Amino acid sequence: MKISLKGLQAVRGDWSLSVEGVFTEGIHLVSGDVGSGKSTLALVLAGLLAPSSGTVEREGIASAMMVFQFPEFHITGRDLESECRAWDVDPANILSAAGLAGRKTASPHELSRGELKRLVLACVLARDYDLLVLDEPFSSLDCTEKERLCSSLSGRRKGITIIFTHEQACFPRVHRIWEISGGMLHDRGRLPSAIGRWDHAPAVVKNLIAQGKVPENISQADLLEAACRT
Amino acid sequence: MQDIRLRAGAAALLSLAAFTSITGAAVVFIWWLIFSRPLLVLTKMRMVIPAIVLIAFFGLVLELTGGGGISYSLRMIVIILIGAWVYAGYRQGEFLKLGTWLFGRKTGFDLGLVAEMGMQSLEMMVSDFSTIRQAQELKGKHVGLRSIVPAGSILIHGALRRADETAELMAMRGYTNGGSYCPVFETPVRDVIAGIAALCMGIIAFIPVSEFFILYH
Repeated sequence: MKISLKGLQAVRGDWSLSVEGVFTEGIHLVSGDVGSGKSTLALVLAGLLAPSSGTVEREGIASAMMVFQFPEFHITGRDLESECRAWDVDPANILSAAGLAGRKTASPHELSRGELKRLVLACVLARDYDLLVLDEPFSSLDCTEKERLCSSLSGRRKGITIIFTHEQACFPRVHRIWEISGGMLHDRGRLPSAIGRWDHAPAVVKNLIAQGKVPENISQADLLEAACRT
Repeated sequence: MQDIRLRAGAAALLSLAAFTSITGAAVVFIWWLIFSRPLLVLTKMRMVIPAIVLIAFFGLVLELTGGGGISYSLRMIVIILIGAWVYAGYRQGEFLKLGTWLFGRKTGFDLGLVAEMGMQSLEMMVSDFSTIRQAQELKGKHVGLRSIVPAGSILIHGALRRADETAELMAMRGYTNGGSYCPVFETPVRDVIAGIAALCMGIIAFIPVSEFFILYH
């Protein structure tokens, strides 16, 4: 199972993004500044946007899903129960997991953006997609929910999961780090060696590296383990 | 047309002329072909062709059931083309200019501001609609009546929320009503020619064709 991007270019007016790389099974983190082209690349990978040039080859991918930054775009149901059914998941389990138990008759539009994001993510993560593209999955979530999402994502064993984010506090355990800068996608490699090459690394990670305590991965538990290392 | 005063005036006159009669629609269509840069308008406004097809379909149904449908369709299609021309030439801030010029710095400014916010919202809705369609496709919901209702609901809720947020922000920044804006307009010669031509088309549309022949003889 893999996605190969060959000589790919996305062009919009004066702005362009060049991409070359292969996304294999596992969890990939793509970081970059706001406006660097993360969402554009996410759309290309999900097959929702045709690149200006180059090719996207998918191998062994039978099902794909993308979660947009703003969860309201995903709404199709009149109430939370029908919304869950539209995702083909069990409403009782999902509403409970999203902290929305007892609100199955509520309209999705009544929820705050954070609540709606929790619901959409719970629906998506309850299913096994071969390719899962998440555009800024941590936005609109509080720290507790970010942590909960990170442990769900870290637990994904199958398929290709690609997380596009400029998050600086919470991360799941990832297999590979990529960065978008200067109009190009850069492959920083597998963990843990990728951490040292990660320009957009959060300050806490950079401080740990400066102290010679390179973490094994970038989850809270890994950072804590590195920080407590003697 | 760069001058919004001429563009809005011409659009109002031409729409009225096109709606009045088939002759009016014909002369307005000729004006549209000459002055609106049709190819640019049609490539920029991709919803024009589907809208025309929809109007033509309803016109045909009307013609078959009660008559008058073809005349109605043709007149409405020309009005849509004029609307597309106005929208394609829109530049941010020009309705604020027009409102202030027409009705002054209090009521005019407010009306212009509302129009500007409406245009901004419309642009966002077009962009949001495309994302909603992508999200629905991912969920296996294909284009149809069943998918249009939730999409419309998302768009309306989004527009209302944005309007609410904008109003709160403006109130926090001390806005009550009116402004101190001094609009400045640019009127190239081409705009003046197009404006005079629109006026001529309006006169032709409102004066019966037979009157021309009487004057000629």
